Order: sequence, then structure tokens, then C-alpha cells
Amino acid sequence: MTQATQHSSRPGAGSSEPLLSVRDLRVTFQRQGEEEFHAVDGVSFDVRPGQTVGLVGESGCGKSVTSLAIMGLLPGRGNRVSGSAIFDGEDLLTLSPSAMRDRRGSEIAMIFQDPLSSLNPVISIGRQVTEVMERHQGLSRKQATPKAADLLERVGIPDPKARLLNYPHQLSGGMRQRALIAMALACNPRLLIADEPTTALDVTIQAQILALLKELVVDTGTALVMITHDLGVVAGLCDEVNVLYGGKVVERGGRHGLFRDPRHPYTVGLLNSIPRLDAARGDKLSPVPGSVADNLPWTAACAFAPRCSNAIDPCTAETPQWEGDQVVGFRCFNPMGGTR
Amino acid sequence: MTQTSDAPDVLVEVTDLEVYFPIKSGIIFDRTVGHVRAVDGVDLSIRRGETYGLVGESGCGKSTLGKAILNLEPPTAGSVVFDGTDIASLKGEDLRHARKRFQMVFQDPMSSLDPRQTVESLLLEGLRAHGLDTDTDATRARLRELMSDVGLPVAALSKYPHEFSGGQRQRIGIARALSVGPDLIVADEPVSALDVSIQAQVINLLQDLQDKLGLTYLVVAHDLAVVRHISDRIGVMYLGALVEESGGAELYDVPLHPYTRALMSAVPVPDPQVEDTREQILLTGDLPSPANPPSGCRFHTRCPWKQETLCDTERPQLRVVEVSGASDSHRVACHFAEKIASGEIQRHEVEATITTPGFGGPDAGPTAPPEAYIGV
Amino acid sequence: MDDNTGPSRRPTLGDRRKERIDALATAGTVVDEPGKSLLRSAWERLRRDPVFLVGAAITLVFVVLAIISPWIAPWDVTANPLIDKVRPQSNPVPGPEPGHLLGADDRGRDLFSRLLVGSRQTLVVGVFATLLGLLGGITLGALAGAIGGFVDTVVMRIVDVMLSFPALLLAFTIASLAREPSQWTLIIAIATTQVPIFARLLRGSMLAQRSSDHVLAARSLGVRPRAIVFRHMLPNAMGPVIVQATLSLATAIIEAAALSFLGLGNPDQRQPEWGQMLGLAQRYISEAPHLAFYPAGCIIVVALGFTLMGESLREALDPKSRR
Repeated sequence: MTQATQHSSRPGAGSSEPLLSVRDLRVTFQRQGEEEFHAVDGVSFDVRPGQTVGLVGESGCGKSVTSLAIMGLLPGRGNRVSGSAIFDGEDLLTLSPSAMRDRRGSEIAMIFQDPLSSLNPVISIGRQVTEVMERHQGLSRKQATPKAADLLERVGIPDPKARLLNYPHQLSGGMRQRALIAMALACNPRLLIADEPTTALDVTIQAQILALLKELVVDTGTALVMITHDLGVVAGLCDEVNVLYGGKVVERGGRHGLFRDPRHPYTVGLLNSIPRLDAARGDKLSPVPGSVADNLPWTAACAFAPRCSNAIDPCTAETPQWEGDQVVGFRCFNPMGGTR
Repeated sequence: MTQTSDAPDVLVEVTDLEVYFPIKSGIIFDRTVGHVRAVDGVDLSIRRGETYGLVGESGCGKSTLGKAILNLEPPTAGSVVFDGTDIASLKGEDLRHARKRFQMVFQDPMSSLDPRQTVESLLLEGLRAHGLDTDTDATRARLRELMSDVGLPVAALSKYPHEFSGGQRQRIGIARALSVGPDLIVADEPVSALDVSIQAQVINLLQDLQDKLGLTYLVVAHDLAVVRHISDRIGVMYLGALVEESGGAELYDVPLHPYTRALMSAVPVPDPQVEDTREQILLTGDLPSPANPPSGCRFHTRCPWKQETLCDTERPQLRVVEVSGASDSHRVACHFAEKIASGEIQRHEVEATITTPGFGGPDAGPTAPPEAYIGV
Repeated sequence: MDDNTGPSRRPTLGDRRKERIDALATAGTVVDEPGKSLLRSAWERLRRDPVFLVGAAITLVFVVLAIISPWIAPWDVTANPLIDKVRPQSNPVPGPEPGHLLGADDRGRDLFSRLLVGSRQTLVVGVFATLLGLLGGITLGALAGAIGGFVDTVVMRIVDVMLSFPALLLAFTIASLAREPSQWTLIIAIATTQVPIFARLLRGSMLAQRSSDHVLAARSLGVRPRAIVFRHMLPNAMGPVIVQATLSLATAIIEAAALSFLGLGNPDQRQPEWGQMLGLAQRYISEAPHLAFYPAGCIIVVALGFTLMGESLREALDPKSRR
């Protein structure tokens, strides 16, 4: 029973030992009669207690597959996972399915994009929350019910006792996402992975959920991995940002550093693509040309080279190596602002 | 409203438009037990050559309004005068012929293209329907021109929709809308299904086409930043009605309606410095059910500036207010807009309640079907 | 509102930007080869699907044999060359012997020849019943799905009534209504049981098409209503109906056999049919089970062939498996 989570460090203690350390994670999909597809192609990053790490990128960049691989939630057949994901001294990728099930929901929890399909439609919200506690903390249903009401209250669901009896379809999208967060928090997880938790929600509801997540990280010291396509969300929430492209991290940096001084042309391209509320009308956006269909294989080139405005000769001949460390760095032959 | 519909620059004049969807119930005989008021009395006018942005959250009725203006969703009441003719009252062949002048671009480029047709036959369809394909050579030239207008190679003509990427499909959708040479294009969430970098390509394309062809746009979107980027004027919708309307820059500089202010403060900005320093107005609770909207001002259940009087009893009308920085084309539907702007009324806490009666607690009355709340 | 700091300065992309974008048409690459329609890619998937290949092989063998059976059958099916060996008490069903691979039936007719030729009637009944059912079902379903409203309600209530009878009972009733049973009463009876299935299926998928974005797009383009139904709704709604038709061939064959078994088939008892053969075999089920086994086995294998084909067709046409 790991209810008494011993958070060794205080929130924000960025220099402590990593809680989760992903190294060279690779996920290869192999479908019958088709070429292998490297969805995740050597991703490494660290997450420390109380830290929020963002994985950001467009569809197909491998950000969701990364999280599913760490959680052991990829379908059993048709894929190959290699590398390591050390969580608290143990490699999650080599754990047995049953050992992984014990970790999931208790020490590591996940929040998904679509709250309706992540909740069981025929079981009440209360039952779904208490179930997690019964499973991982050995509580009886009687003991768990008041705790479930407390949890719902904590995530900002009004009138929590009555809501315990509701079914998912009786709640709005924002309330469902809150219920899902309550379930994820039921056993005080040390690591929370949120996969596009606000994409299906309206902006005003998104703002509520992001504020809630921010508060949770500060209050409990839970480490948060935030997977999103929205650089705006990242800017407001994440301490560290990893920009993914074609299954690789192409740039990493602290929140302020990365937005002030982006090095990889893709990061710059993304930032220039976003219409901003505080920019005047008529400013032309400068989008990244082409689409991911133009990508080159990483094996002998930079995947982004065909869409890159900074491309030079080596870009289409060699694989760019990681320049930097586990805190900041990029993968580019000709970064913005020169190689320094 | 005494807006002059015969002003030379107005292309579309929408007056008192209502779209109600009946909620049916009953085992053998369907009885109408209520209405979802998707669009509940909207007045707006779109000038020739401008981009009018309609913004709001899901369920506010913005998409329904867009479709109702094109009479793809028959309005329950009200009129839509397009260049002198009331589209809302047209039917059958008259309506079909009139469609040549107003077209639509859809949110999901995949589902809005018939998977069994090549791009060429998709584009020819509109030309044929309006008898524009008389001359084979001219038709071929027209197809090539359309392709180059939307930035696709001519080789794309012989391909099927599933062979393109999302951004390319949206370009095909735009080419189809352009094929019949319309004056007005209603774009319903034209970029929300696309990746960020592709979004920007399509936004730029829409702007280029407007410059080149002199199009008038009505852009319906939930993303305030996108709307702000492409619109000359913006209307903010909440629960079936416009709550504020003004020029894009002015709306950003001087937002007058509490909902607009909350919406604006909720949009994440990709700049950590802005994110760290700005003031957020977090709304509590959810959108009330459009089948049973609150009395008075529809926003009063969530409004941080709500007052004891008027707000919950009288529905505010769009009006021009005297606030510094606000021009006389800036309209807002709030009883206390002046006092909020001057700071005389301060923000206060709002208690969150589940605001979906008939759909919420177990003690609620007749439960409306969930469909009534989805995609309205 | 103090979020008015303005955008922070960000490096703009290099000078080469403009030319590169111009060189690389902003929309990205389009492979310069003729497009591949959904049907063609479905066919390409099918061609590599072992399940489909097995089903198609079974079906093909069956069809070819049925067509050429009168010429390859070693004996005339109405002749009774082994009648001398039939002893009603001691040996009612003569066993195999040289020249008679499977022996004979209780009237001394060559069993192998009858089995071969019997496939013809089964095939004719199955195919025609399904085609007829398809025709009726498509008409009703398209009418309901395209017009909707009152027509839809009336058609669907009729279909519901038809569906509420067990299929075999309905076919039995219709077949026995005929003044004298023939192959055609069989076909009409089975077709009638198929009609409501096809009608419901098509109506449902037409309704789904009607509310789809691409139909709305065609409407907003000003396409004529007739063209919308025939160019957009019907072709896109046909997928599940075609799959069902393939599967229905199997049930039609089984139903045909069942009705013949019950004596409602071709009154000419000399013409072989698998179900009828099965019916005749039941008298000798304890002494000569093989008499029942062979036609039953044929029915099962053929039905399996159609089912395998239908299932793999369903998979190939499934939009979710499209890439």
C-alpha cells in the first residue's frame, strides 16, 4: 500500500534525482505486408518530482505512442519496444504485465484526451473512483466512498456527494475530465501522464483544467508529463519542453529559454505558424511548408530537411546528432542563430 | 434593429434569426416536449469584401448559425437577405440556383469529400449543377486555374480524397467552394481539424484568395486567436445569441462583455512571459442547456460581474455604449457594460453549480436525449 | 487585462525561406501517378487475403462444376442403372462399386452424378433468390432512405412486419401458397425473406449518408437532389449491402435446401437437388448415413465458401481498415 507517498523532494526541486528517466525509447510498428514504421525513434528525457515536462509536436510525431509505451499500454502484437524507462530504479519496459498493472493507477496514472470514452458508461462516477482505491489501497467500498467525494471536491466538482451517483453521460465534458483527473489522483500517484487532456474541451474549460493541474503539481509534488500539440498550453504550464518531430526529440529547453531563443527551425516554424491573440491583424503567418508526408527517414538524413528553410547539404546526407545535454539541446546541423 | 439593409456595402443582412430543434419524446407518437434554442434571435450584417468572424464555445450555436445563413439548416424564424434576396424564404430550384453565390467550407476535409470521386469529378459537380461546363476546353482551363489557386499540382485532379494529407484535402474543399464562383464563403471551423503548421498554410491561403477574388468570408471558429487573425469584425456568441460585436483589434483592446473578457483571458498564448503575468478570469461551471436557457442575461449564471438587479430578469439587447476606446460600431449585450469598463463594478466569486437541468442530477425532471446537447 | 505585453521578438527564418517555399509547393508533394480508387485498393487487399482466396476457390469450383455438370456426370441422373441391386428389405441402398463412385440411392440412381447435377438447382435458386431479394430490398431501402418522412415510416413498418416472421416460416408460407410448387416458387419465397434484410440495411446506411458532411457539401454546392441520391448517397451506402448479399447467398442455399427437404421444391422428383436428396435420405439414415452425409457436406462447404468471401469482403470495404 503506497498510499503514504514519500515525496523525497519539495515541489520545484528541479535538481533532484529524476523520478522517470526515459532513455533511447524506440517503438516500431510492423504490420503484415507493410514496411516497418518507427513511431518513436530514440526518445530520451527525464522527469523530476514536482516538475512538469511537456512533449509537444504535431500529429504523427510520436508523442502519444511514447506515453503509451511507458505505461505499457501498447497493443501486444505488431510492435516492438526497446530502450528503457527507469521509474524509481525499475525499468518499466521490462516489468511483467501484472507488476505494471500494480504500478498503473497507483504510482503512475494517466489522463486521456477523450474523457467520455475513457470512462465506463454503465458504471457510476463514484464507483469508478472507488474501484481504483479498492484495487490499489485495499480499502473497502465504505471506506473509499467518502474519500471519493473528497477527491471530486478537490478537482472542483460542485456537490460531489450527489455527483458520485451520476453516470458519465450526465456530466459535461469539463466535469468528465475532472472526474477522470480525480480517478487518476485517487492513489496519490507520483507521476501523472496527461495525453492532450484539454484538446476536446472549450477554451474556458481548458483554462479551468490547466489551472487545476498546475495547482496539483504545486500542492502534491506530483511529476507531470504533459503531452500536447498546443504551444500555448506548454508556455503556461511546463517547466521543460521537448519538441518532437518524426519520432525524435528535435529540441529541448526550459520554458522561458525555448520560447525566447528557439534553435531548431521546426520549433521556430511552429511558433511562427500560430496566430496570436496579441498580434495585429494582417500580419502574415509564416507556416512550415509541406506536410509530414514529405519526411525523410532519419537513418541518413534529417527528417525535417525537406520542409526546412535552413536546410544545408549535410541535412539530406547524415543523421543530425543531439547537441546538448538532458536539460537543453537540439538536433540540427544549421540551427537558428548559428552553431555558436 | 433599424440597420439599413440597402446600404451599398452590406452583402448579408441577418435579422432576428432563430433556429430551434424540437426535442421529441414518446414511444409510439412523437411529442415535441421542448426546443433546443440553437440560434435564438441573431442580428448581424456582413459587408462586401470583409471577413466576419463568429467565435464561441461548443454549443453556442455558431455552426448552426453559419448553416442557417446558407439555408442548409432551415431557420425557424427571421430573414437572411443576401444581396437583396431573402435566402431564408427560398425553396427548391430557386434556392439551388441561388447557391451559386454562397458556398461553404467544412471543418473535416475528409468527411466532406465524397470518397468515391476523383478531385476532378468533385470539382466538375458544381460546374455541372449550375450549367457552367458548356465548353470542354474552358472547363479544363477552369479546373487547372482552381488547382493553382489553392496551391495544388494539376496531377492531383485524377486522385481520390484519401490519397491526400489533411491540409491538401482542405485545399480541395476550398477549390470546390470556389468552383462555382461565389461571393460569400462560410467557413465552418476551416482549420480546427488540422495540425498547427498546416493551419497556418490554410489561413494564409484563405487570405490570399480573398485578396485575389474579392471574396466575403464568414469564418466560424472556436479558436479566438485564429478568428482574430483573419477577421475584420468579430461577433462573440454565447448560448445562441451574440453578446458582443466589434472590429477585431478593438475587441481585443476593449472587450466589454464579461464573457468576451473571460474567453480572451482563457486563450493560451505561446509566450511564457505573457502567460506568467496575465490575469486569468476563470469561469466556473458549464454552459447551461440551450433547451432551457437561464432567464434574463444568458450569461448571468457564470458571470463574475453579475449584479443583483436586471441580470437575471431582463435579457440585454446589443447596444452601442459610451466607453473610451469603443467606437460606435462596437455593440455589446450587457446591462452594466459601462460600469464594468469604468471599474465601478468589481469582479466577485461565482459559486459553481451544475447548470444543466434536465440533464444533471438524479433528481432532475424529464431527461432530454443526449443528442440534443451534442454538436448543436 | 495586462496581457498586452505584445509578442516577444523571435528570430525569423533565413533568407532562403522564400525560394525554398516557392520551390516546394506549399501544399507538399503529390505523387505524380493516377489515383487509386477505394474499390481498387480494396481489391488489392482482397487479392492478398488468404481467407478470401479460399472462399473464392470453393465458390469457383462449385460454380464451374455446376455449369459443366451435365457433361461430366458419368450417368444420366434420371436413369437407374443399379435398380437391380436394390433390395427393399436387405439392401435398400446399393454401395459403391466400380463405375459408381458413391454407389446409388434407393432407386438405383448414381449418387455421384446426382450430387454433381444437384448443384445446378441449388446455385440457380440461391443466386436468383438473392438477386431478386436484393432488387426488392434496394428499391424499398432506397425509397425510404432517399425520401424519408412518411414514405420512410410506411416502408419501414412493412419491413418490420416481414422481419417479425421467422424467415423459414415466411418462405414456407409463401411457397405453400403457390398452386403447384416449382423452382420459381422456391426462389420467390426465399427472395421475400431477404427483402426486409436488404431494405433495412440500405435504409440505415442511406440515412447515415444523408447526414454526412459530403452530402451536405453537395447540397450547399447546389447539386440536384436526384444527383445527390444517385451519385453520392446510393454508391456510398451500397458497401454493407453487397457484403450482406454475399453472406445471403449462403443462407439462401441453406434455405433452398431446407424447403426442398420439406417437399416444397421442384415437384419433379427425378431432378436432383441437395435438399431434396437430403429429404429422401432420412428414411435410410441408420443403414446408409452416407446418403445424407454427401449432400449435407456439399451444402456446408458451399455455404462456407460464400461466407468466407463475404467476411473478407466486409473487412476489405471497412472504412476503418483504409489507410
